[in-house]
Amino acid sequence: MSSSAAGRFEWLLRPPPPESGIDREALAGLLVGLARTVEPKSSMQPAGVSAVDPRLEQLRSLLVGHEIEVLGRLREVIEDPERFGVAVGRVLATAVASSDARLGQVLAPALEKATESSIRNDPRKLIDILHPVIVPAIRKSVGETIDNTFQSLNESLRQSLTWRGLRWRFEAWRTGKPFAEVVLNHTLVYQVEHVFLIHSHTGLLISHVAAEDAASQDPQLVSSMLTAIQDFVRDSFKGAEQQGVDTLRLGDLRLWCEVGPFAMLVAVIRGNPPEELRESLRNVLSRIHDERRQALESFDGDSSGLADVAARLTDCTALRQQGARASKRGFPWLVFLVAFLLVGIVGGMGLWRWEILQEQARISAEIAQEQARIRAAEAERRAAEERRWSDYVDRLRAEPGIVVTEAAERDGKFVVAGLRDPLASDPAAILRESGVDPARVVSRWQPYQALDPVFVLQRLEASLEPPPGVRLSIAGDRIVAEGSATPIWLSRARTAARMLAAGGPALDLSQVQNLAEGIVGKLRDAIQAHEIPFNTNESLPAAGQDAVLDQLASEIRELTSLASSLHMRARIRLTGHSDDTGPGTYNLSLSIARAGAVLALLKKRGVAADLITIGGAGQLDPLNADSSDSARSLNRRVSVAVRLEDES
Amino acid sequence: MTVAIQKKICMLGGFSVGKTSLVKRYVASIFSESYLTTVGVKIDKKTVTLGERVVHLILWDLAGEDDMSSLRMSYLRGSAGYVLVADGTRPATLETALSLRRRVEADCGPLPFALLLNKNDLREQWAIPDGELEELRRSGCWVRSSSARTGEGVEDAFTDLAARVAP
Repeated sequence: MSSSAAGRFEWLLRPPPPESGIDREALAGLLVGLARTVEPKSSMQPAGVSAVDPRLEQLRSLLVGHEIEVLGRLREVIEDPERFGVAVGRVLATAVASSDARLGQVLAPALEKATESSIRNDPRKLIDILHPVIVPAIRKSVGETIDNTFQSLNESLRQSLTWRGLRWRFEAWRTGKPFAEVVLNHTLVYQVEHVFLIHSHTGLLISHVAAEDAASQDPQLVSSMLTAIQDFVRDSFKGAEQQGVDTLRLGDLRLWCEVGPFAMLVAVIRGNPPEELRESLRNVLSRIHDERRQALESFDGDSSGLADVAARLTDCTALRQQGARASKRGFPWLVFLVAFLLVGIVGGMGLWRWEILQEQARISAEIAQEQARIRAAEAERRAAEERRWSDYVDRLRAEPGIVVTEAAERDGKFVVAGLRDPLASDPAAILRESGVDPARVVSRWQPYQALDPVFVLQRLEASLEPPPGVRLSIAGDRIVAEGSATPIWLSRARTAARMLAAGGPALDLSQVQNLAEGIVGKLRDAIQAHEIPFNTNESLPAAGQDAVLDQLASEIRELTSLASSLHMRARIRLTGHSDDTGPGTYNLSLSIARAGAVLALLKKRGVAADLITIGGAGQLDPLNADSSDSARSLNRRVSVAVRLEDES
Repeated sequence: MTVAIQKKICMLGGFSVGKTSLVKRYVASIFSESYLTTVGVKIDKKTVTLGERVVHLILWDLAGEDDMSSLRMSYLRGSAGYVLVADGTRPATLETALSLRRRVEADCGPLPFALLLNKNDLREQWAIPDGELEELRRSGCWVRSSSARTGEGVEDAFTDLAARVAP
């Protein structure tokens, strides 16, 4: 740059060419002219001009010698780039400061190029430089945008359900504008009540404008205090040094602060301002800075020179949502209606739900009750079954002829085992009576003979078959037989009594009367005492025997009747006999015939023949073995034998 | 037409020197004293008329602490002058005031100031020798003894300071 500047000024510094470059003729004429001015009467004429005239050089050094010297020095400076740089540097700042707008225009392309090349070489550097400035700005801008969006959303939501909201929706549809925009146009109700322009450095009030009917405290104090608060926040919170409070909010009163290089604009806004208002405030502040930069910078407490900014501030207080403030906010009937319906529906559903819940709770309670009841019943049932089981086992234990050796509950089953007399009660039958589920019972019984009198009695009754005249019963630890019995039964009974197991009940037969004794015995003896005599070789009884036969018949009938009453049967045997004269076979036949004759005679006298049997003994059973006639007469006879049998 | 100008004046002084009560009766104030303990500063205004001119002294009453570090220096920014207050019955507070002055001059350069030795109504407890005051005056200090109770020295101090900050 210095070299080009030197080139530009070269013509000044060049020594005049000794011969060329000077119009010597014109110079000579000029000098003559000058001489004439001094001496008008002179008639001097330029007498030729010589090519080389040292006087001219003399004249030149006389006229501009000093300038030539100065120019010489200047030339040295300009020709030495180092010295020229120092000289220009000394004045450059002043030159730039006092330059007009053209300097900016001239410098802008160069600066743009320089910046562009710098960024191209190393973008990092520029990012580092701009970072502290740009990041808070971006943050603030994004924050404001988000605020704005939320505010719009809030408003939209608040308004979208009123009649007015519906009207606006229609308007949005009609005009093709976004609904949010229409809402914002209509709804943001605010009034800028005060605007303070505060000198940043001193906190002194530069200008204050208040809207009509807006009251506030001494604005000078307020502005200082606002500055103090800004300082306070900046000092108190790290990271806020480069910023400050941009919003203060108190109810529906907001303080929006816009900070400029020399002054801070604070707007006190009542209501709900749109974020765009901030942009307007920023524009006002920046316009004030543009217009009155110098005055703001040198402000020293005298605001008289800045009276005109009040007009700008008045522009701010004019910012308001026209008309909206005067009109009341639309009562959100639709919201009210919808809310009412919603409350109704929700309430109804709540009630319904509540009832369902109640019902569910009731059912749950009932189920729980039922379950408890079932559990209780189950427990009861179990207890009852166990009780029944225990009763059953007790009953088995008490049952004669049953010995319980094991009774337990295993794997849900009742197990009972032991010994059982076949004559004892059937455990299965007892089980059925007990009510215990037979499917749950496992029984194992081993047979044995019990010595209980009952069983012994039963067994005796089974084996002895006591005749109807005999009754067996238990008396203490004995079995007593009572009544009357034939000697045959008695004999069997005695045998059986002897066979009874030791230690068990004994059979007492002492109370049984022997039918062979007593009246039956007497009749028997009487009947057996009769002998029906026969004459020799005669088969009919001797004469005079009718009375004997009558008596015999009578006695037999009586015995038969008596025996029958005693559950006995009396069997009669008639045996014929002969003497020893004659052949034996004849005698045998004769003896049978004699017995038959007596039978017939007895039949004739009413004796039942089925109880009488006949037989012949011939000469083999004589009463007297002598061979005398009397002996032989005695031996010719029919004897009677009686046998008493139990009725069967 | 009167010309009104404003000047920022800081009130500085050690703990319990009567700084706040000194101005209480003579200034316009809208903020409560609780600002001192919360924000650390309380703004009052003292209007002084100097002939044709009206000077509004905007008084920044800074929370008085003996501990220098707790003083918010950013509050001093842009001050046209300041008032130093000390307690005449406690020489240590004069030391504090003078060190505050050094602190202010280090940050803001030399500024007009007034030094008030307060509580001069308690003459019997007065603990600062007259010689010392004379010496301060000789060194160029504007020094007055004052009383918040009687108001002595207060008006003078503000009027004089106003004249010096708004020549």
